[in-house]
Amino acid sequence: MASRADLKGKGKAGKGDDSKGTFIKSMKQWSTWCMKKAKVATQYGFIPLVIIIGMNTEPKPSLMQLLSPV
Amino acid sequence: MGGVLSFAAAPPPPLPPSAADRLPVEDTHKDDQSEKVEKPAGEVDWLNLPCPTSYDELQREAMMSLKPELFEGFRFDFTKPLNTKFSLSHSVYMGALEMPSQSPETFKVPTAHYEFGANFLDPKCMLIGRILTDGRMSARVKYDISENLTMKINAQLTNEAHFSQGMFNFDYKGRDFRAQFQFANNAFYGGNYIQSVSPHLALGGEVFWLGHQRKSGLGLAARYNTDKIIMTGQLASTGLLALSYVHRASEKATFATDFMYNLANREATSSIGYDYLLRQCRLRGKIDSNGTVAAYLEERINLGVNFLLSAELDHWKKDYKFGFGLSVGEF
Repeated sequence: MASRADLKGKGKAGKGDDSKGTFIKSMKQWSTWCMKKAKVATQYGFIPLVIIIGMNTEPKPSLMQLLSPV
Repeated sequence: MGGVLSFAAAPPPPLPPSAADRLPVEDTHKDDQSEKVEKPAGEVDWLNLPCPTSYDELQREAMMSLKPELFEGFRFDFTKPLNTKFSLSHSVYMGALEMPSQSPETFKVPTAHYEFGANFLDPKCMLIGRILTDGRMSARVKYDISENLTMKINAQLTNEAHFSQGMFNFDYKGRDFRAQFQFANNAFYGGNYIQSVSPHLALGGEVFWLGHQRKSGLGLAARYNTDKIIMTGQLASTGLLALSYVHRASEKATFATDFMYNLANREATSSIGYDYLLRQCRLRGKIDSNGTVAAYLEERINLGVNFLLSAELDHWKKDYKFGFGLSVGEF
């Protein structure tokens, strides 16, 4: 019984270390995934965001002014 | 960007010079003038020293005079204001771009591209985005979180993997000092600090850490400026020493010289140049110790229409670059 308790204790300690290691690993993977998505979002969305912010300031320019080359 | 001397990352393909780099930067020389307390000559108010220029812009006057945006080929920039704060920019470039190569001979690739950009300029918030036809994008954000704290984000994104770069800066402006903390995407952390020690002299230092290559570095800088002259010196632990001297002979003429010494491979480069700001044009010329002679002319044809001429003659490598262009809409 004592040996089983020992094994249980060791098992728990082992799992504790493992969970910390896997936690850090998963944080790194998650942050890499986040950065990749943020990069794609910025590449596609930053300029439209600037245009939307600009079109909503006073005095509001019209859509024709945005699209015409003159 | 002040990080250029000490930040060595994997070289990305060169982005063409875009109008984003030529947008007006805050003129801190004016701040120095207005913050000078009215005191009889000879007496210094040590508690009221002026705020120094930021660490990145220590050598701004020398860079502006000695390093104009030289280009080869044809360039056309059109900035269309839709609002006082919002404008769009279209830019066409046709010519040869120099690819960075390890061999001594220059390797030029003829390219043509169109760049679209949107700028939103507010006293509190500045957003600039530029995108090229091949998918490369550059974004700059500058936001004033409070009166003294500014956040800047600078990102260059490409479609190729591992060539994108992003940098965050937090700047704090104190009464007579400035502090900046920066971090960039491949585990680069840096900080710098500059302090006014007299009405004319400012001293500063910087520290950086490159995570992936486990390199760290230290740098020291000093800047001495009066109405007529500006002298700066920078020393980095990576073995680079850069000195510059700018002499403002009059409102219209400025002369500048700079000296760069690489302690690691014992190479020194020096250049001397002039900058004439005349009513109808701005002419900059320089000659280098590498045997390069360069000139850049911006001629104002009409209100908002500028004609650009650029020439760079490298007699040593026998590489001659000439460019001409038109810039419409930049007042």
